[in-house]
Amino acid sequence: MEKISVVIDGRTFQAEKDTCILEVARRNGIHIPSLCYNSEVTSSGGSCRVCLVEAHQGGRMRLVTACNYPVREGLEVRTDTPLVHRIRRGVLELLLARVPDSEVIREMAAAEGITEARYRKDEGENERYKCIACALCTNVCAEVVGVHAIAMVGRGADKKPATPYDKPSDVCIGCGACAYACPTGAISLKEQDGVRRIWHKDFKMVRCSVCGTPYIPEAQVDWIVRKTGKDRSFFDKCPDHR
Amino acid sequence: MGAINSIEELEAYRRELAAAAKPDLPTVLVCFGTGCQANGSRLVAEAFTEAIKEQGLQVDVNIGIKTTGCHGYCENGPLVVLRPQDILYLKVKPEDVPEIVEESIKGGRVVERLVYRDKVTEELVPRYSEIPFYKHQLRIALRHIGTIDPTNIDDYILAGGYAGLAKALTMKPEDIISEVERSGLRGRGGAGFPTGTKWRSCARVDSDVRYVMCNGDEGDPGAFMDRSIMEGDPHAVIEGMIIGAYAVGSHQGYIYVRDEYPLAVRNLTLAIEAAREKGLLGENILGSGFSFDIKISRGGGAFVCGESSALMRSVEGNVGEPRAKYIRSVERGLYNRPTVLNNVETWANVPEIILKGAEWYASMGTEGSKGTKVFSLVGKVNNTGLVEVPMGISIRELVENIGGGILGGKKFKAVQTGGPSGGCIPERLADLPIDFDSLTKAGSMMGSGGIIVMDEDTCMVDVAKYFTGFLVEESCGKCTPCRDGLPRMLDLLTEITEGRGTEEHLAMLEELCDLLTWGALCGLGTSAANPVLSTIKYFREEYEAHIKDKKCPAGVCKALITYYIDPEACTGCRLCAKNCPQNCITGKRKEAHVIDTSKCIKCGVCKDVCTFDAVRIS
Repeated sequence: MEKISVVIDGRTFQAEKDTCILEVARRNGIHIPSLCYNSEVTSSGGSCRVCLVEAHQGGRMRLVTACNYPVREGLEVRTDTPLVHRIRRGVLELLLARVPDSEVIREMAAAEGITEARYRKDEGENERYKCIACALCTNVCAEVVGVHAIAMVGRGADKKPATPYDKPSDVCIGCGACAYACPTGAISLKEQDGVRRIWHKDFKMVRCSVCGTPYIPEAQVDWIVRKTGKDRSFFDKCPDHR
Repeated sequence: MGAINSIEELEAYRRELAAAAKPDLPTVLVCFGTGCQANGSRLVAEAFTEAIKEQGLQVDVNIGIKTTGCHGYCENGPLVVLRPQDILYLKVKPEDVPEIVEESIKGGRVVERLVYRDKVTEELVPRYSEIPFYKHQLRIALRHIGTIDPTNIDDYILAGGYAGLAKALTMKPEDIISEVERSGLRGRGGAGFPTGTKWRSCARVDSDVRYVMCNGDEGDPGAFMDRSIMEGDPHAVIEGMIIGAYAVGSHQGYIYVRDEYPLAVRNLTLAIEAAREKGLLGENILGSGFSFDIKISRGGGAFVCGESSALMRSVEGNVGEPRAKYIRSVERGLYNRPTVLNNVETWANVPEIILKGAEWYASMGTEGSKGTKVFSLVGKVNNTGLVEVPMGISIRELVENIGGGILGGKKFKAVQTGGPSGGCIPERLADLPIDFDSLTKAGSMMGSGGIIVMDEDTCMVDVAKYFTGFLVEESCGKCTPCRDGLPRMLDLLTEITEGRGTEEHLAMLEELCDLLTWGALCGLGTSAANPVLSTIKYFREEYEAHIKDKKCPAGVCKALITYYIDPEACTGCRLCAKNCPQNCITGKRKEAHVIDTSKCIKCGVCKDVCTFDAVRIS
């Protein structure tokens, strides 16, 4: 892979060409906040806009999302300028108005000096009360899990992740990867008496034959067996007792 | 005849068509554009067939009938043109037809009541080319529209069609790109990116597959330039695309057209089929060894799908959402392959540029914006419709000379250009030349060419609110500034128009505009602030009147106005009282009436019905 050098906040770093700015910054201890990006999910990123930074290249400057802007030779990035903070504050104030109960957003906004949004607070459905519609959950479901149980539906302010018609999905395996990846903890995943409930659907859990802990939905085991050909008996025990 | 196998055969075919044509045969051209069809032009055409038969004439012997694309002067439809005399009849009804046949075709006289009458001098102007609406136009992209039958490829070939392609096939692809570069043609879809540069960037990328696309997802409110071109001259678009494909080395093209344009879809489909039959599209075009074909992709009518990356996602069968264009679509576009995407009007210009040369095209327009531009001129102007003018013409010339001035003799206040991504330019800047750079500098943009003329009765805060509301509906919701910022902007604007605005509202609006411009993901979001920014810039006092004085100077914002009856002007005719849905107007016959403002819902019916202009707004 071609190595190039990129300047971030005055320091020069070597990086592989086309790595995103955010990865280069993280590896070198430069903090850029982000929400919708997950390094394991190539289709993620670009939507929440909290990672906007100044990209100077070829004599022009624009704000780009650090999570998906590919670094090329001659790029100079500035992450700590008045413009970057001004726009980040604007984005976070909008997010705070949208999901005032989200701890993650409150903290991120507080770091930029915002404790209260001046706008009318959003009175959305409870389910999406913390949802910032960043689509990381649906990207994980489609790209990493490969089942396409949820998708972003609607548009504009009504856009939200959902199963088809908000009904229990036929293909959901209850793996909970969406809830795990969600940056604001907006996806409800509840477990009780060996049953997991997520996206309006109950999933019977497999219990570990050693400790008895319900640890994986049966539907997920079926999916993995079907996809990978792994022996079903492998899932008799939880990861701790294998 | 079947496929045309060489350039020589094409020219021979053209000569054959010319020999069979009868240029002196009296011909009736009936406009079959969407507007005229809605006004009943189909019935008019049928009436002609019937009247001709009844009066003992024969079609194609004594008289020809042709249905054409849109003439642009839609408000006066159905339009009928008589050739070769070049007479234009307006608002023709089926019952007018026997008289036209009798008087004009048989008798060679003009039916005066159907002719354009100058609004100032009252003079009759029967000739198409002398009517002010047409006199100041220069038609290149619209060169054939209204004169050819768009469903008949022979008509296009007879008018010189596919000669540009024939010439291009004798040129080196590299030379075609240079020609387009030197012509100065810039993308007509809105952003004005130099077309030749785009083609060159695409041709340079190493790839086995390249795509050429046409953006026919015209979505600006009030704009219908591209629709008319696709409906009225589909072969011009197809020919342009074949030339572009040959230049960049593409073998597959796509036309993305919104499904709300059924006539455009139909005429494009017919044109593609006809071009294939003639060997002008498909394998081994005109025996040159070059192959290229076009598919039509119908869009569902989401505004954002006019944005290039969303359009490509939509063609791929995905949700039409934009993506970051940090890697440009000329490198990785449709299906991640190098792609040239140009707008309908851009493509329609290409054959003429190749045929007549870059110098000819570059001789028109301004330094930075060459050639002509098609505009849909709408709003409070006397002549509305589709016009094509050289770049650099001033806003005032467009509004006054072609548009015939403001409706009802009112005062010219502003024009809105560029649709929801554009802005409002005040009357005092109306001498500004219309070109890409001047409009952008003024805080608006060329956009695809929508021009909405506004008079003194237009409230600029209300205009900003309208466009912001449109964008709230059309935002795809992918990125935070656009999805959540636009509804907040609409909240603030609504509060201002309802008299609940403060100085803080203006400051917050400006902050949100800044956020959208810098922070949004795609062109829809980054330009979404323009309607608000430009109205604050040029009409700040109007915002302040709403905020400080709680008044709407144009008398539009309902919460800030009251209706009253001027006792001097009122004759006591009782018309307003009879029509008031609230029954809140009282007064005796022949005495001045009074509106009970506590019950008034400000519907404006009293003002509309009053024949003495006694109902006023304060």
